[in-house]
Amino acid sequence: MELILASGECNTADEIICVPESVNELFENPFFHGVNRTMVLTGLVAVIVIGLLYFGIVRNKKRLVPSKFGAAIESLVLFVRDEIAVGIIGPELGLRYFPWLLSIFMFVLVGNLFEVMPLINFPVTARMWVIPAVLSLLTWVIFVVSGFKEQGFTYVKDIAWPPGVPVALKPLVGIIELVSTFLVRPFSLAVRLFANLVAGHVMLTLLLVSGWIFISAQGGLAKIPIGVGWLVVGLGIYAFEIIVAILQAYIFTLLSAVYVQTAVHPEH
Amino acid sequence: MNLYSPLLLAAEDAEHAADETSGIDLLLPRDVNEIIVGIIAFVVVFGFIWKVAGPALNEMLENRQKVIKADLEAAQAEKAQAASLKEDYASRLSGAREEATRIVEDARQAGESARADIVDRAETEAEEIKVRAQQELESERERAMTSMRREVAGLSIDVAEKLVGQNLDRDAQQGLVDQFIDELGSEG
Repeated sequence: MELILASGECNTADEIICVPESVNELFENPFFHGVNRTMVLTGLVAVIVIGLLYFGIVRNKKRLVPSKFGAAIESLVLFVRDEIAVGIIGPELGLRYFPWLLSIFMFVLVGNLFEVMPLINFPVTARMWVIPAVLSLLTWVIFVVSGFKEQGFTYVKDIAWPPGVPVALKPLVGIIELVSTFLVRPFSLAVRLFANLVAGHVMLTLLLVSGWIFISAQGGLAKIPIGVGWLVVGLGIYAFEIIVAILQAYIFTLLSAVYVQTAVHPEH
Repeated sequence: MNLYSPLLLAAEDAEHAADETSGIDLLLPRDVNEIIVGIIAFVVVFGFIWKVAGPALNEMLENRQKVIKADLEAAQAEKAQAASLKEDYASRLSGAREEATRIVEDARQAGESARADIVDRAETEAEEIKVRAQQELESERERAMTSMRREVAGLSIDVAEKLVGQNLDRDAQQGLVDQFIDELGSEG
């Protein structure tokens, strides 16, 4: 669908599908050439997150009984605070990291949900360097700095020369732990989010576009049921992608909290 | 054109389009502006949460906690007051019951006492009446005896005068009659 809509010069009377010259054209903004769609949508994510929190929390702060919308946002925010920040990192340090974890959760959640939002249908989290990589690197910096701050040089020493491991295995386990902690963690964190959202987005696009192609194709009514079938499957996946969007936001935030927790509480 | 030709067409075109950006290039940053916008957007969100939403959340929860705590304390105080009132009412009720019992008992005792008093008085009065009647009876009897004695004396004198034919001194006669009666009385 996006492929068809993306090309302004496409003549749909002659061509069933209109392919842009470059994939990058899909991200171009028809109104401002310097600001592409990803940038606009990223800004929109920030506006929506701030709007949700403003109308759900800030404007409700004087109310004893929140509105339904306020209660929903509050439960979401308290879930991040109590179940992720405090529940994983601990009551004292958890509250210190709570604003950062809530920012990650809300930002990724809204960015993910753009995948299934009508008229947008594009998850900004599927752009590796816009959200996944940036947030992963930020998480990496935060948990490494937290580890050094709480433990000093022992943080790296315990990773490179892990206590409780047989001496013969220490070098091997140490190398694995070093690579895992300092290289794999940020990479896996970013790729997990990026890959899940790209896969979902591509799958949805293929299914819905296939449905559209078969329904609108000339040459017999036999293709219409196939197109309807693809559309039905696509709508099923659409519902599934809503769950994926929420789940990936939760996983990203949860893992960020776990990485901080392992850095500040080595005994765990 | 077979059934799947539209898909094949689309796949070929997509492959052609993807030639320019594929593989590892998909993971590498192409537009630095996107990264900068992403960072700015995130920093703005983080700043808003850190400076505005977070404190507002804390304030909201604290206010709610305060109000709920105050309500709980008020409810506790009212509960205590209600318990105290209940205790007071129970105590008063118990006092009233005791009072009522006491009043009934007092009334019963007063009634009993009044009854006994009345009975005593009645008995006393009856005794007095009886004694008085006895005295009156005795007095009547005395008076009757005296009267009878006079009658008998008079008759006796009359009889004696008729029999003896002499007129005795009235006082002497009376003395004789009395003596006679006394002798009759002592003999009887």
